[in-house]
Amino acid sequence: MSTERPLFIPVILGTPRQGRMSEHAARFVLREIEKREGIETELIDVRELPLTTEDAGGAIKVESFAQAVVRADALVIVTPEYNHGYPGILKHALDTNLKEYVHKAVGICGVSAGGFGGTRVIENLLPVMRELGLVTIFWDLNFSSVGKVFDRTGVLLDESYVKRADKFLSELIWMAKVLRHGRESVKL
Amino acid sequence: MLCPNCGAEMNHHADKIDYNAGLDEPDLIDEVFGGVLEEAHTCPHCGHTEVRAARAEGS
Repeated sequence: MSTERPLFIPVILGTPRQGRMSEHAARFVLREIEKREGIETELIDVRELPLTTEDAGGAIKVESFAQAVVRADALVIVTPEYNHGYPGILKHALDTNLKEYVHKAVGICGVSAGGFGGTRVIENLLPVMRELGLVTIFWDLNFSSVGKVFDRTGVLLDESYVKRADKFLSELIWMAKVLRHGRESVKL
Repeated sequence: MLCPNCGAEMNHHADKIDYNAGLDEPDLIDEVFGGVLEEAHTCPHCGHTEVRAARAEGS
């Protein structure tokens, strides 16, 4: 029964910064997901979430975001690396949910202007993912020197990222299927 | 637990501690874990998810 329903894998764009190159990366991953049969997706842009700084956590839950996570079988998080860390607003947004994440898969895409492809921000996010109840995969997607990967309008300049995204998404989808089976059929 | 959407028997697949929930509902705090112990249930038929405090069932 569970295999008849399409998987839902939204892409979270984790920065509101003006001129963000991470948006090009997020839209590229979104397009690569859309190429696959049996997978539905959408972009969740932290810039568009009506988050307040008057409070934090579940107290400022955004219903549309929470419902997307409830529906999701897996998440893709696209994050730039700012001073070796993740954008504060990304953590602020992620913290508005908790139980919605339990036993869902997550894959992380790191974006950097330099040569490390967001490896440090990904390492920083992993313990957060674990505490939220998400299950991480062992493939990441690292956009190094992102200014050379996309032009200013978002056109992909480096076709090797199609193959990189394919490996990343194949692993994420496998994990999403396994975890859906587990959530629905494997008792605690 | 029956699915409120379709009536199928849901699968209890996880327990998770919510520390913040205990701030609002101190009576529900599990003495061993220091937070509210919650059960996650998912419906094998429609995929609906429900979460409830473990103590709600007396467990």
